Amino acid sequence: MIPVCPLAQLAPGEAFRFEPEGEVPIAVFHTEDGEVYAVDDTCTHQDASLAEGWLEGCEIECPLHGSKFDLRTGEVDALPATKPVRTHAVRIEDGTVFVALSDEEPNLPPGVTR
Amino acid sequence: MTLTDPTVPLPAAGTPVSPSLLRTLPGRAYSDPELFAREQERIFERMWICAVRSGDVARAGDFRTVQVGRENLIISRNRRGEAGAFFNVCRHRGARVCAEASGEGKRAFQCSYHAWTYDLDGRLVAAPNLTKMPDIGREDYGLRKAHVREWLGYVWVCVAEEAPSFEDTVMGAVRTRLGDLESIERYAVEGLELGRRITYEVHANWKLIVENFMECYHCATIHPELTAVLPEFADGYAAQYFVGHGALFGEEVEGFTVDGSAGLERIPGVSEEQDRRYYAVTIRPNVFVNLVPDHVILHRMFPVAADRTIVECDWLYLPGVVASGADISKSVELFDLVNRQDFEACELCQQATDSQVYAEGGVLVPSEHHIAEFQSWVTEAVR
Repeated sequence: MIPVCPLAQLAPGEAFRFEPEGEVPIAVFHTEDGEVYAVDDTCTHQDASLAEGWLEGCEIECPLHGSKFDLRTGEVDALPATKPVRTHAVRIEDGTVFVALSDEEPNLPPGVTR
Repeated sequence: MTLTDPTVPLPAAGTPVSPSLLRTLPGRAYSDPELFAREQERIFERMWICAVRSGDVARAGDFRTVQVGRENLIISRNRRGEAGAFFNVCRHRGARVCAEASGEGKRAFQCSYHAWTYDLDGRLVAAPNLTKMPDIGREDYGLRKAHVREWLGYVWVCVAEEAPSFEDTVMGAVRTRLGDLESIERYAVEGLELGRRITYEVHANWKLIVENFMECYHCATIHPELTAVLPEFADGYAAQYFVGHGALFGEEVEGFTVDGSAGLERIPGVSEEQDRRYYAVTIRPNVFVNLVPDHVILHRMFPVAADRTIVECDWLYLPGVVASGADISKSVELFDLVNRQDFEACELCQQATDSQVYAEGGVLVPSEHHIAEFQSWVTEAVR
């Protein structure tokens, strides 16, 4: 598990982007309902940060072209993205958000490498 | 001749020509495109401008685009409910970001050229390959912000780098005309609802419209319906000639309506002294406010050319009146008629501004002498 940030620094409705060493950027979201989710930060269609997108319920809308990803499953709803983002396990311990990175291969957009 | 160095300054307005008469601005002051550009730069781009009604951008992501001087602005609201005003210019290659006049529930403003994308606070949040260019600051390359205030239920903006004091200028204009701010606060304008909005395209210079609103020498001639409701207007002295003066309704008049019939429910805060009276305020450079016991009429002017001005006029009533579907047509009809009568007169003036006969301008009679102060103010502002 990687410690990410204190939960208190992540207000409901907000996102936090971080880059673990040697990994792709990860986005952690605190939904209005109080759930915390972590997914790959980069949209699978084109290089854009999902942490900067529009969070509504459990869906994050990519700021660049509007594909929406389900934070629970990583699945995408509509074009232009077609592949899901990876989801990562989240645990809150003593007020700190921890993330366990998925060991699947990320679906990175063309031109983006680790 | 350049914008910043005019070779032909305006002559002073208000010079006495005889005991009764003062000189007006010359005809070209109303038709010269170069002077118009200078007015936009020195007046509309420096002062507080009333841009949109707060209710026009009620929810997050609602927006309207408005023209302020030579600048186009996006007026919107963020998720925290704060109004914002952004220059409608992409920070990448300068394309107009938002081409629509209005919209609802936007999540971001995205330039249609290269998809540079700005959130509701104007921050640059996405662009193709943006994460590979960490040197592009989200705030540094966010949409440029204009100054914003919300007052009287409207969003006011200033596109100057440094805004003048809102209290001294906008509120000051109200205080100067009504004697105090409490007088307008009693109408609780920010709590009223839009009953009707009419947009007029007037083929006249904005100053002609301001000057017309300031005087009532024309009232008995072109406004028979208004003069029937406000008999004292027949003597030619507008409410704006005085401080704190409201024109009294005629004895038989029941309300501020086209036929003097009863109006709508009175605004509860309106005092006994204010009841059955009409008050008018000009807030330079683009607002007229009319206060009557049961409604408020607010005009916003947007000059688009030396000889063309868009006027958006709102009729505001108590929320209960609007919700009930009560018939407001008789009160709307009165000032709509007044507007059309006024704008027709302004257009007739516009048509003669380039005549050799009006090259030196015309004259102001005593009940119009206060217009000279407005004209001197414009002259000073563009000098």
